[in-house]
Amino acid sequence: MTNTYITNATWALTGQKLDLRMGQSGDEPTTIYLDDIPLQGVNGVTDAGEMKIPEGARVIDATGKLLMPALFDLHAKIEIAGCSKRESIYRTGQAALQGGVWGMLVMPTPGFCFDNASTLDSFADAVTQRSAATMIPAGCITEGMQGTQQTPYNTLAARGVSILSDAEHVTDNILMLHRAMKYAAELGLTFAIRGDVPALTHNTYMHPGSTSYKLGLHGTPACAEEIGIETLIRLAQDAGAKLHIQTVSTAEGVAIIRRAKQKGMPGLTAEVALHHLLYTHENVGDYDTTFKTLPPLREQSDCEALLAGVKDGTIDCIVTDHTPCIPFAKKQDFVSAPQGMVALDTYLPAIYTHLIKPGKLTWAEVIKACCVSPAEIATPYDQEEGTPVVAPLLLFDPEVEFCVTESTMNCGTLNTPLLGTTLQGGVTMPLC
Amino acid sequence: MNPRKDLITIDALSDEDIRTILESTSAMKDIFTKSVKKVPALKGKSVLTLFYEPSTRTRSSFEVAANRLSADVTTFTVSTSSVVKGESVHDTIDTLMSMKMDYIIVRHKNSGIPAVIARHCKAAVINAGDGAHAHPSQAFLDAFTIKEKYGEVAGKRVVIIGDILHSRVARSTSTILRRLGAEVAYMGPGPLVPQEQYTGIPRFTNWEQVFTWKPDVIYLLRVQNERMDTPFFPRSDYHQAFGVTEERLRRIDDLNLSIMHPGPVNRGVEICDAAMDYRNCLINNQVENGIAARMSILYHLTPQTQNND
Repeated sequence: MTNTYITNATWALTGQKLDLRMGQSGDEPTTIYLDDIPLQGVNGVTDAGEMKIPEGARVIDATGKLLMPALFDLHAKIEIAGCSKRESIYRTGQAALQGGVWGMLVMPTPGFCFDNASTLDSFADAVTQRSAATMIPAGCITEGMQGTQQTPYNTLAARGVSILSDAEHVTDNILMLHRAMKYAAELGLTFAIRGDVPALTHNTYMHPGSTSYKLGLHGTPACAEEIGIETLIRLAQDAGAKLHIQTVSTAEGVAIIRRAKQKGMPGLTAEVALHHLLYTHENVGDYDTTFKTLPPLREQSDCEALLAGVKDGTIDCIVTDHTPCIPFAKKQDFVSAPQGMVALDTYLPAIYTHLIKPGKLTWAEVIKACCVSPAEIATPYDQEEGTPVVAPLLLFDPEVEFCVTESTMNCGTLNTPLLGTTLQGGVTMPLC
Repeated sequence: MNPRKDLITIDALSDEDIRTILESTSAMKDIFTKSVKKVPALKGKSVLTLFYEPSTRTRSSFEVAANRLSADVTTFTVSTSSVVKGESVHDTIDTLMSMKMDYIIVRHKNSGIPAVIARHCKAAVINAGDGAHAHPSQAFLDAFTIKEKYGEVAGKRVVIIGDILHSRVARSTSTILRRLGAEVAYMGPGPLVPQEQYTGIPRFTNWEQVFTWKPDVIYLLRVQNERMDTPFFPRSDYHQAFGVTEERLRRIDDLNLSIMHPGPVNRGVEICDAAMDYRNCLINNQVENGIAARMSILYHLTPQTQNND
């Protein structure tokens, strides 16, 4: 394997200049640590100017670019209606690389219903053959995500599943969930669930407020999410299970999680979708289905509380909540249109343009929330052995500007409000 | 008035649009008094009524209006169509547009459907009620009825009473009345009246607040039980707490207030029998004016189907 030399790079986390040699040779380690982040395929880090580069070697001059670990997305759906499974896997992998994402936790969907061993096996084969990015399946909590009968957790765990989720489906059957948690806790599995009380959110379509009133749409009360989060925390505490709260969207939701963490609840983590940091219910405007999400987009004050949650570590991860919706589906009326946005293709440039550049988050906060924490939560590894989650590196050019168009979108659908907007940031990955 | 293809919401109209449609509603009503009730304004044009929700009044009102303008009216019956076989709205519209319709009058239970249809076809689309969103032709007939009664809408106070949450009539009628300079308030059971911070409209929850506000018009809404899968309030309370009882009717009579209702009326729920015969009950005027307002709306819209032959 040929070594690749990266010169004049700036380490995004510290702003330090460094030179790297990547690739395997001899007995040198393939993983080194920079600021405690284990990095893939790196042999040596030297001070700029000291590295001797053999003639004819592959050199990347990274002047003006930032070197950083690639991102891990803890919440992506990859099924594209009308596409084969293999095509969906291929397109999502391409989109991920473009957005700076090296791996993702794939949520179950009807076409990728990870509730049995054979589905997991065929998925693993297809990912190996077709995907440029690592795809880790989240096993279903219940068969067919129906909320009634638990899936064979032992079998799923033996196939490498470490996180269980029924994706957007939240069950009313708390007894079943409590028992599932008690059982799965013995296996060390994590439950990834959204806070919700289905009875309160049935037939609701957006955040209640002036826009929902004007459009005549029933509002999804914030208290449903908050009661749901509180319930999940109490259940997981009692069962001794690890719990990951998905797509927190309300300020009070953040506060509940903060209190639980302050009290000391081991194994409690939480995520926020990027769109809940960037948009509010007012973006729905005149029935713009692009902004129909689950949970719905909320108030500016919620965006700010979520951002504060990321900054103080209450919210461990930012996720894409990538959900491909074919154009026809989103052209329907707001009530009938499916929820969700795609975000993988534009992920890192969108984070840079809308969060880092305006000073809302620092590179250190982004690397923690988008690279380190999600990979640690998702990747099964032995805590006692201390085997690290190894992230590949990427180069990010903050000076590159591009317009998001149909031709820059690889994921197979176009349901993103960023379409037609200009983003800053060019991603180069993989580097070797 | 600039050429306008569709009527989806009152919000989308300019002040001039509103004024023009209201002014010619009066002219259209004059046609009724003639022995020949028909004018050839839309002769040769085809009008389709596409009602995905049951309706007697609005549908027949639009059909009578289109007939009086000499248009050819086709009725699309959803319950016997391919819609019940799972056909999407887009595909239904494509099929209907192949039949070269000039005007489509649509009602649907989902908010936002008429806008989707309007974007998708060249015919002029009139929203005859979508979910809890809008019912602009009702707004025009209400505004016209108040104007007819009082000479002008500006300065009048109208309290809309009942199930505001589910009511497209409340949204559209309050919008047009406020655009024309009237003041509007809402009153009803707590869970059915949205917060003032969302609506910009004063929110009352009892009759004393209503009388203190000194309204000119009491506008009653039907309690839409069919939209309440789980009850919002104790139903047997409604008439005593929010309805026009005989006692309240006497007070309304003393104050010389008008009563309006978009129909159909639930006697004994929002209104007592006696109120239907009250001297200032404008409910039948509303029905009559509905035809004139809908004639005016049809007359002023401009389908883009001329070059589509």
